Parts: sequence; structure tokens; C-alpha cells
Amino acid sequence: MEPIITVRHLSKKYGDKVVLKDINLDIYPGQIIGYIGPNGAGKSTTVKILTGIIQDYSGEVMVMGKSLRENIMEVKSKVGYIPELADIYDLLTPAEYLAFIGKLYHLADNVVEERSRRMLTSFGLMENINQRMDSFSKGMKQKVLITSGLLHNPSIVILDEPLSGLDANAVILVKELLQALKQEGKTIFYCSHMMDVVEKVSDRIVLIDQGAIIADGTITELRAGGNDSLEQIFSRLTSGGDQVQVADDLAAAMR
Amino acid sequence: MKKFFLGLAMLPAPLWRSMGADTAQLRAILDVRLTLDDRNPTGIGRQQKLKKDRKYATLLNTVMFLFMGFFYMLPLTVITDRVLSLTIYFALLLTVTTFMLITDFSNVLFDARDKYIIFPRPVSDRTIVLARMLHVFIYLFRVIVPLSLPGWVMLGWIDGWKSATLFVLPLMMLLFMALFIVNGVYLLVLRLAKPEKFKDVISYFQVFAAVIFFTSVYFLPRLFDAEHPHDFSLLNYAWVRFTPPYWLASCWSWIGYHGIFNGSVLYGVLAIVCPLLCLFILVKFLAPQFAQRISGIDTVENMSYKPVAAGKSGKVSGSRFYAKLADIFNRSDDAKAGFMIAWLQTSRSRSFRMRVFPSFAFVPVYFVYMLTQGHQSFSYSFQHLADGSKFLLLLYMSSFVMISAMNYVTMSDQYKAAWVYYSVPLVTPGKVMIGAFKAIWVKYYFPFFIALAAFVLYVWGVSAILDIVLAFVNVTLFISVLARISQRHLPFSIVEQMKQGGARIFKSILGMFIPLALGFGHYAAVHIWWLKVIFLGLSAILLWLVWDSYANTSWQNMIKGEEQ
Repeated sequence: MEPIITVRHLSKKYGDKVVLKDINLDIYPGQIIGYIGPNGAGKSTTVKILTGIIQDYSGEVMVMGKSLRENIMEVKSKVGYIPELADIYDLLTPAEYLAFIGKLYHLADNVVEERSRRMLTSFGLMENINQRMDSFSKGMKQKVLITSGLLHNPSIVILDEPLSGLDANAVILVKELLQALKQEGKTIFYCSHMMDVVEKVSDRIVLIDQGAIIADGTITELRAGGNDSLEQIFSRLTSGGDQVQVADDLAAAMR
Repeated sequence: MKKFFLGLAMLPAPLWRSMGADTAQLRAILDVRLTLDDRNPTGIGRQQKLKKDRKYATLLNTVMFLFMGFFYMLPLTVITDRVLSLTIYFALLLTVTTFMLITDFSNVLFDARDKYIIFPRPVSDRTIVLARMLHVFIYLFRVIVPLSLPGWVMLGWIDGWKSATLFVLPLMMLLFMALFIVNGVYLLVLRLAKPEKFKDVISYFQVFAAVIFFTSVYFLPRLFDAEHPHDFSLLNYAWVRFTPPYWLASCWSWIGYHGIFNGSVLYGVLAIVCPLLCLFILVKFLAPQFAQRISGIDTVENMSYKPVAAGKSGKVSGSRFYAKLADIFNRSDDAKAGFMIAWLQTSRSRSFRMRVFPSFAFVPVYFVYMLTQGHQSFSYSFQHLADGSKFLLLLYMSSFVMISAMNYVTMSDQYKAAWVYYSVPLVTPGKVMIGAFKAIWVKYYFPFFIALAAFVLYVWGVSAILDIVLAFVNVTLFISVLARISQRHLPFSIVEQMKQGGARIFKSILGMFIPLALGFGHYAAVHIWWLKVIFLGLSAILLWLVWDSYANTSWQNMIKGEEQ
């Protein structure tokens, strides 16, 4: 099978600071990729490159066999992006915001209306569809963002901490949604700090630290015959597993 | 500066302790608030582009108030009747400090983060209320000291330093009154308006205050003839005696001169008793009520849902008025999206309203000001209004509204939400920009121009129709050129007041010369109808070309700003 996303020698610098170092990845259609790493590891930068938000990078990114650099608009129309923070024009209502997004994807009004209604109903937001979002909780805004990222029925869905601010039921709903999208044949690139969720939903996990990939494989492969949870593996690979000592030091500092 | 004010505020620490405040906590809270004031300044400091510029914001504010103080000191120098000059002086100081408190300091006062940062800690209500009061006092001090310093120096020079030293008493009384008035206004608004609308009402008040301030700067000097200030007597206006500035002036003339004139003892006593009474009412009743109501506002803001009036049917798009207009005025979906977001956001953004709405009032104010230049009286100017082609001035001045709206349609405190433009397949950002441009053109400029045109038709008659149409096209052309050159930002995508300095200067220069050139061209052709028709045709063709060029602005041609 041909990879749907191919990343070769991807590097990115902000001034003198190297954020990504020679990243190589092949992502196959219908996979859920869990992309994890500590704060500042380069996850969000990778996501912004894959979604075309950052265009100043070195290396090559191919999406559906086409160069991202040379076919950026075509790629953007195939990708749905759901960012980490609920940065949204919250003076608008969900209806107005989704209509605005629909226009930017050149979707017909009736398609936007139908999809918005169905998705917001699933999220339990239908009764809020004509309320300004400045009174919404972070979780409610996040649900609108998820809806906006899926509105154009993308082949690839890139999520950067999509569960941030969501309540327990909504988290379950999103987990199920990821599985449903996978069943539909979508490719999911999923960044998160919630290790238990990543462990459960991902077909493959890529661990990044200090701009470089330090582990890549299924959860079974990452365990390497052991019985560790993803959280333990993550801790061991990114901080030497000394969290217990750090916690003890913190508690001792209060005495 | 911060340390000085902090030290000053904590001088009567035993008094604060006796009032039930924890002075260590009080000092800590004030310290943080004053640090935040310096880093996120009010007044002109707010408009500094970069963080490093903000370091000097407090100093800049002080210099600005000092400059304003020189302006307000003028009555003391030109009017020899001390009670009259001081009445005007105190009236100006009271108005400015009150307006500054309401317009500039409201955001600090209504910062509800206390709720999450201080309220969960073991800090008593008394400490919190006192911290708030002292913070306001320090702010007022920062305003009143530089503002009154020139007056102080002037009085010392004219009347001697002993008199100038005593001047501190009426100034303190003035501060108490300003605080009382502001608290009173807030509580009145809170009583009349629903809590969730409170901030909206305050923002409209800010717009109103800006207009009044602007108008008064232009027209106050005309109200009493500056050539004959000696002929002016306050005794001709009985109501003046019921105003606090008159009491304060009488009080100072009493203590400053030891000269007693008719009624000055009574007014002097009023000047001292009334502010102290105000302070008592403020501390005892208003401040606690105010604190309670403020916390109520925050709760309401977070809890309440505000359904918008339109679209209760749950329609996502299509049938709404703005969506229909977007379809009429734009061909591409991207332009329609730009039109829609600009239409909706500008209606609801407080900061947009506060910055753009005053310009609607500036146009007629400027027009009347220009009309009455050259020592002509108001009545003479209005009687001869229909003479000549003065209406051209009014029609071309309407561009101020569009310039202002166009300027602020790119700015937003939600600029981070603009990530969306970069993640969608937006080939030509110019399409979104032209859509936004058309939205503000249709929504703000067109109705305003129609109102002005109706006035012109009423005064100058139907013969002005061709001129009205030509002025409309010319102003739109000029604004479009301006947009094409310097407004290459996506709607609501840049930080407020963070536009490129060079572009802004260039735009200001263009803002002066292009309408002047077009206006003079129009004025030269005003009596030759066929020339106007040719002018109109040329302007219309140029407008079409400029719009086309603006709509085709590519990503490479966007101005690099403070976007993501």
C-alpha cells in the first residue's frame, strides 16, 4: 500500500533553535497515528507543517503522492485540522462560524447546514447553534472546532490535543468518533498528552522528543515484550523515568 | 514610579490595619496590580507597538497629562477673575479625571480575575475592597498630579507659593468627587442595564465620552469669546453656583487669598463638606455594593447564553440578510466569507464600536468647526450654509468613517482565531479582504453617506445630485487605493494597535493628500457638468481596476504583521 503521507528529512528552525530534526515518517491510509511527546518536543510544529500553516521548512512532505509545497491548496482541501486551543471567533454563533468555514471550503450552503446540524446534534450543541460562543465553555468551543474541522469531509484528519477542555462523556464520544472515522477510511494524525486514550485508539504510536523521533511502532512493539503502559514507556524514554523522585522532591520542598 | 506609589499608599498602614485590612496582603495585591498597570498600560501607553515601548508607557502617559495640564491651565493665565478661572479649571479637571476613570480604567476595575486568583486565598473582603480603592486612588494620582502641575506652578508664580501649597486641599476634594461620580455612574448603569449588558453600556458611554471630549476641545473656546474674557461674569449664570467646581474655586479663593467675597464662606464650606460626605457614602455604601455587583457581572457573563436575534430557526446559512447581501456584492465564496465575518464581527466587537463609532460624530463636528472658522458666528455660518459648494467638504470628510472602519476591521483581540485562514485552501487572500471591505462599505459607509447626501439635498437642492454621486465614487476610490496599498491583512487577524509603523505613516500622508486632490479636482469641476461626468466615468473605471487588483492580492503580497 502507498503511504498517504510521506515525510522525508523534515527539519525546522526558529532562528537558531532547532525544533524538528530530520523527521522521516510514512503514514498509511486508514491508520490512526498517535503522535506524542513532551511539551516543546515539536509536535505542534509538525502538525502546522502538515496542515500547510507553516510553509518555511526543509525536507519534503508528500500528501496523497503530491508535494505539499507545490500543491498546498489541494492538500489543504483534503485535510481537516482541529487545533489544541479553542481559538475561535467567539463573537459569532456556531451557525455563523460554520457557515464562514463552509464558504472557505467552497461548500454549498445546504451541505454546510445539513452537516453542521447533524454534527452539532451529536455533540449536544444543537440548542446552542444560534448563541454567541463568547458565553460557551472551552469544551463547547472545542466541539464547534471539531465540527469545523470535519465539515468538508476530509480524507486526513489532524488533531492537536482535541480532548482539551472536554468533559468525560465528550472524551468518550471523540474516541468513538476517531474509530468511526477510521472505519470510513480516514487517516487520523492524533497529537495528545492523554496517554491512555492514545494507547487505546492508535494503530501506531510515534514518540518525538527534542525534535527527533525516538520511538515508532504499535503499542506491542513499543512494549518490546514487556507489560508497561504507554505512560510508563513515555516517561522512561523522555525523562529517564525519574518522576517518582521528582514528586518526592516536590513534596519534601513543602515541609 | 511603582515603588513610590506603593510606598505612598502604604504610609498610613496602621490606619489600614485598624480598618481590618491585612497590610502585608494589601501591599502584595497593590504591588502586582501596579506591575500589571505598567506592563499593560491604559491611556496612550496601550497603543505602543512593542513590549519594549510599553516600558515607557507610564512615563509617556505622564508627559501627555502634563501637556494636557498646560492646555487646561490657560484659563488661569488669561482670566483675572480668580473664581471664574478656577471654576473653569476645576470643571475641566473634574471632567477629565471622571472620563479617564470611566473610559480608561474600566477594564482594570472590571478585571474579574480576582475571583480566581485572590478570592480562593485567605484574603478578607476588607483587604480586597481597600486594595481596589487604593489602586483607583493611585491611578487618579497618576492622572491628577501631572495634569494639575502646570496649574500649580502658575498659581505659585501669580499668587505666591503659600497659596499654591494650599491648592492641594481643593484638589483632594476634587478627587473624592470624581470617585463618587464614577461609582455613582457605574451603579446607576448597573441598576438600569442588565448585568450582561453592563460592559456594552460602558463601551457606549466611552464612545459618547470620546465624542463629547472631542467636541468640547473644538467648541468650548468659542462659547466664551476669547477676545473679551474680562467681560464674562459667572454671576450671569446662577446655576453655576450649584456646581462643585464653583464651590472648589470659592473655597480656594477663600483659603488662598483670605479674601471673603459674597457667599464664599458658604461655598467654601460646601466644597469641603460635600466631598467628605461623598467619600463617606462611597466607602460606606457604594464601594461594597460596587464590588458585589462586579462579581455578579462576571458570573452572569460566564453563565448566561445570549441567543442572537436573527436566525432563531436554526438556519446555518443562506436565508439571512447579511448572507443575501454577501451573495449580491460578491461572486466568489472566499469574498462571501470575508463579507460575512466582517459584517457579523463588527456588530458585536466592543473594541470595534469604541474605535469606529466616534468617527461618525467627528465628521459633522469637523464640518461645523471648519464652517465656523474665521471668527464667524454659528448663526451667520448656518444662515449662509447654502452659499457655494461647502457640501463637498462634508461629503469628502465622510471618508474618515470608512478609513476608521477599514483600519479596525483587520484588528481583533481574537487574532489567534485567524489560524483558520491558513489551514483552509484559500488561494487568494485578497478575495476575503475585498469581501470584508465591501461589508464595511455597505454596512457603515453607505448608510452614513446616504444620510449626509439627504442633508446636502435638503440644503443645496437636487442640483447637487451629480456631485453627490461623484463624491461617493471618489471617496470609495480613495479608500480602495488606501486599502490596496496598506490594508493587506486578513479580517480580524492582527493584534490591536500593532500595525506596521511605516505603513501607518504612509497611510496618514495618503489619507491627507488623496482626498484633498480628489476634492479639489471635484471643486474645480463643480460648475462644469460634462467635466464631472467624465470625472465620474474615469473614477468608476479606476475603482473597478483597484477593486480587481485588491481582490487578487496574493499571499506573497500580504503585509507581514502580528499574525500567527
